[in-house]
Amino acid sequence: MNDVVICLLNPTSFDRAAQGLAGAGRRLAEELNAQLTAIVLSPQVPGIAREVAEVVDKVIVVDQGEYQPEPALSALTETCSQQSPAAVLFGNDTYSQEVTPRLAYRLGGAAVGDVVEVTIHEQALRVSRQVYGGKAQATIELKRTPAVLWTRSRSFVPANRLSEPGSVTELSLEIPIDTRTRIVERKRESQSEQRLEEARVIVSGGRGIGGPEPFNDELKPLAELLGAQLAASRAACDAGWVPPTLQVGQTGKKVTPDLYLAIAITGASQHMAGISEAKNIAAINTDPDAPIFKHCRFGIVEDYRKVVPLLRQKLQALQNSQR
Amino acid sequence: MNILVCIKQILDPEIPAREFRVDAAKHEAERGNANLVTNIFCENALETALQFREAFSDTKITVLSFGAATAEDSLRKALAMKADAAALVINDKTSNPDPLTVAQVLAAAIRKLGSFDLIMVGREAGDWGAGQTAGLLAEELRMPCVSFVDRLEPMNGGLRMNRQTDSGCEVLEAQTPLVVSITNDEHNVPRIPKVRDVMMSYRQPMTQWTLADLGYESEEDKYYEIVDLSIPRKESRCEFVTGDTLDERVESLAKRITEVTSAL
Amino acid sequence: MNPAGATRQIYWNISHIWVMYVLLLPALAIFVYGFYRQIAKWRRGTPAARFDQPRKRLELVCKHALAQRRTARDLYAGTFHRFISYGFVVLTIATTVVALDADFGTAIMRGHFYLYFQSLIVDLFGVLVLAGVGLAAIRRYLARPKKLVYTDEATWLLALISLICLQGFLLEGWRIAATNDPWASYSPVGNLVARISLPVMSESTLQTAHRFTWWFHLLLSFGVLAWFPYTKMMHVFTAPLNIYTAQLRPLGASLKHIDFEKTESFGVNSLAAFTWKDLLDLDACTECGRCTAVCPAHTVGKELSPRDIVLELRDAMHSDGLTTPIIGSTPATSPNALWQCTTCVACMQVCPVFIEQMPKIVDMRRFLVMEESEFPESMQQAITSLEKRGHPFSGTNATRIDWADGLNVKHISEVQDAEVLLWVGCGGALIERNQKVTRSTAQLLDRAGIRFAILGRDEKCSGDPARRIGNEFLYEMLAKENVEKLKKHNVKKVVTSCPHCFNAFRNEYPHFGGNFEVYHHSEYLARLVSEGKLKPIATTKESVTFHDPCYLGRQNDVYDAPRQLVQISSKATVEMARSREKSFCCGGGGGMSFVDEPPDKRVNQERAREALATGADVLAVGCPFCMTMMEDGINAQRGDREMRVMDIAELLWEASDAV
Repeated sequence: MNDVVICLLNPTSFDRAAQGLAGAGRRLAEELNAQLTAIVLSPQVPGIAREVAEVVDKVIVVDQGEYQPEPALSALTETCSQQSPAAVLFGNDTYSQEVTPRLAYRLGGAAVGDVVEVTIHEQALRVSRQVYGGKAQATIELKRTPAVLWTRSRSFVPANRLSEPGSVTELSLEIPIDTRTRIVERKRESQSEQRLEEARVIVSGGRGIGGPEPFNDELKPLAELLGAQLAASRAACDAGWVPPTLQVGQTGKKVTPDLYLAIAITGASQHMAGISEAKNIAAINTDPDAPIFKHCRFGIVEDYRKVVPLLRQKLQALQNSQR
Repeated sequence: MNILVCIKQILDPEIPAREFRVDAAKHEAERGNANLVTNIFCENALETALQFREAFSDTKITVLSFGAATAEDSLRKALAMKADAAALVINDKTSNPDPLTVAQVLAAAIRKLGSFDLIMVGREAGDWGAGQTAGLLAEELRMPCVSFVDRLEPMNGGLRMNRQTDSGCEVLEAQTPLVVSITNDEHNVPRIPKVRDVMMSYRQPMTQWTLADLGYESEEDKYYEIVDLSIPRKESRCEFVTGDTLDERVESLAKRITEVTSAL
Repeated sequence: MNPAGATRQIYWNISHIWVMYVLLLPALAIFVYGFYRQIAKWRRGTPAARFDQPRKRLELVCKHALAQRRTARDLYAGTFHRFISYGFVVLTIATTVVALDADFGTAIMRGHFYLYFQSLIVDLFGVLVLAGVGLAAIRRYLARPKKLVYTDEATWLLALISLICLQGFLLEGWRIAATNDPWASYSPVGNLVARISLPVMSESTLQTAHRFTWWFHLLLSFGVLAWFPYTKMMHVFTAPLNIYTAQLRPLGASLKHIDFEKTESFGVNSLAAFTWKDLLDLDACTECGRCTAVCPAHTVGKELSPRDIVLELRDAMHSDGLTTPIIGSTPATSPNALWQCTTCVACMQVCPVFIEQMPKIVDMRRFLVMEESEFPESMQQAITSLEKRGHPFSGTNATRIDWADGLNVKHISEVQDAEVLLWVGCGGALIERNQKVTRSTAQLLDRAGIRFAILGRDEKCSGDPARRIGNEFLYEMLAKENVEKLKKHNVKKVVTSCPHCFNAFRNEYPHFGGNFEVYHHSEYLARLVSEGKLKPIATTKESVTFHDPCYLGRQNDVYDAPRQLVQISSKATVEMARSREKSFCCGGGGGMSFVDEPPDKRVNQERAREALATGADVLAVGCPFCMTMMEDGINAQRGDREMRVMDIAELLWEASDAV
């Protein structure tokens, strides 16, 4: 068989990541002229299988209780080998990343991670991903079947709803008990405890902010709205407007966000040294010649005092419309 | 406890983007002016092992690398950090082995080095970032595997560890032998070796093998192949949002921001 | 009366003189033992070559031990110190003359010599001693400046000196009164004492008082003599010796080398690991406190106190063994304090007895870095970056040649017979703001028609930050590499805009066989102007003040060249109070630019306030660290006024490009 399989591990909902995964799976299946199957491993909430069935041809639910590395791997291996897929796709959650290479090994296939694109090229599966810390893009051709991939599924377009939902079967497996490794405690971190170095979105202020109050009154609400962490340049910390723990730069924290919003920051290289791994930098600054703009993906030349309140309104509106 | 730490030497990932070049024919980065450094996650792994030994003595740490002859420097640095023994498998075949080849070679070397209770690998390398070595190595050695560990300690009959997840962390208990992949944490920042130890490290013996010494035969079927490597053309030009009024421009800005954040 | 016969009876009124000689013996023994004990301790230090160039050394002794020039930089203290010291010199000569006449049968104390020297001049100098002590006491007990060390010993010494002096006058006066000395008027103070005493004291009272006071005076003098080398008064002997063995090279060449093959332990964590000269330093200290008073770290409220490091180590040397660990053993030698030093050497420049404080701090840093690997994390990042990338700025995205975009600057291998190697330095290449300075410098050289070249990507850090942080091993590696590189390209002349690189190349690289003609860009550019190769015209009406970089000015005595350039670029210049050799550090040296200081204790902000207070529009600098630190410092002052921070090359280019 040549099917495409997508795997959802311990899902709490059919979220954006899962939807994107289904979308990518569907498009690949179409190119291969194949079926799209979803393996839902131990859904945490009932009804997910039904939701998934709206967009895939077949849903197989395997209930193993809470995820444990070895049993989950065994269950997936067993289930996948029954399907003999051409490709097995995962999202980029922790469990998926952990499982993928080992699953590929057991299925006799090949794995690639952090995939952003999947294509067929002369009967072979090709994927692309960023390498060298984001400096280059690689195209990799899988030489074994199945191709087992974990992907940045949140950025894929979701699948269309089927006219008729797919079938849902429950599969019970006899997995030998393997307690060589056991997760004994699972902790969820609340947003505020997140470290700046791990933040995916950062709102940062610099010298041009002018004082401590705008950090509290303007930037913090903006950050909260974006689910972002607050940071600052050395100048702002030096002036005592924000605590030094917020300092980003050469002497300060090095951050790797997907979006770094630099507000009233000139962008001198000592500051840029702290955000060299940021994937997208955007800036609000009154000076069109400010060095920060040379590193930006997009920006606006305007006084932040005029932009930020308005920006919060606009962002809120956009968020509301997305719900 | 017998610990083995795998170390990879890579091109300095912090070279300025401007100096980063790709060899389009070989599908790998050009050496250029870049220095060779030990992959940071491998250093985190070694640091974790060293702290483990400090807390729970009677631990021996061996470091192993599969790479070019220059990887010896990374191993010497590991010895300077006070690893007990080092072994190098010199890669005289392909310049960029795929993850399965790496795992197979490492497994062969590990079997030749002896028996280990814990094998530690960096979660991914700063160059290709495949992140597969731990998992494939565990399969080759028929051991269980736990990924993204940042702390571990012995426990009755095994190990207790903490690993990072995207929403927080988890505590696991595991039996040895075990393979773990290590991620960075504020506690495992690699120590700076003492100068005297650096000087001594060059006098310590180091096992060196070629692939032939290991009896390694590469498989017929490849695992995967890099068919293209390119540097995406970066828009060094900032897109200044357009619009006639402030309102329009901020709307445009909001949209661009939302585009990025919604994909996360 | 015939003045030719003038004299006085030695030992008038005194009998049993033999007791004096008997008492002298133990006093002398204790005195000599005091020195012997200390000398033995110094000799346990490691070797140091400090006896070359005797002529130059004697010159220093004349200037600073005899003429006491440095001491006199503080006019008040210098004055009273000269009073006391010269007074005692004269008194000692006089006493020696008496001893010669008494014990060796000479007849020096006669006639005009007796009248004018032995009587008059000695009286006057005795007054000077008392005046000096009085002035010192006013400062110590009324003004109470913080830099002094307030010990009982100091009080006792002042009290005893004045008492001995007063006793001298009393003795003189009572003798004059009792003997009706015809030459009394030649001893004005004694005469005064006599005049006051005569009406109230009978002849026998005078004799008794005189005899009693004579023996008391003897006991006190012998007592002080014996006690001498166990107090800071030892500096009378150790200071001139310390000055004689001073470091003769520019202050920038003060650090020691390590032979890595032969050395057991790197850096210093015990007194025995210091050189004998370091240990002598400790005994030469006069507790004047000037070093701590000028220390920039101390000025902004940090713990670092060079004076206390010296004194606490001195006390340890006197009491503990020379092998007990010293780092962290006293408050002053805590690692915290050691990591606050910017290596600006204001302490060494001001020390009246030429103590070398900064190298001791670096010696202890070397131990912490190379033996223990225990040093601030931000400095660790800089060191790791140096090892991996050859520059200390981890995370930078700039390349070594970004600054040259659009300029026709060539690599040295492409330029036949290049006159000059423009050494850009890490700051000049990788810090955005300083790239503009490098551009200006290159453009000026080009304008002047100089054939210059750069090393481009082949440049690696001069090693200065590694050396100052204490990683001498890394520094040596970098230095040797650089020397080889320059030799390979046959470089003869090096021009650099970074005073740290300048200092390394000029003072430190010769040790590795690198002998080049090295210029700071201010020196070279000033020369180009004087040769007419550059013809700048001041176009600006802005007023400028120049901040002397520590590594250019104090450490290498280059003060005028940058000022010439500033003068050319602007007609209105103004000097800060702490300028030239008294320049106040920007806070960036010694690895400190990589460290986050507490917000209320920042050296650069202290200097920024001083710069702003001049009212000048522009602060001119000559160093990439100063540029960064001063811009940060000025930005952090919430004033209404902006002050531009510009390198002298930028100012010169502005003035030259307008043509």
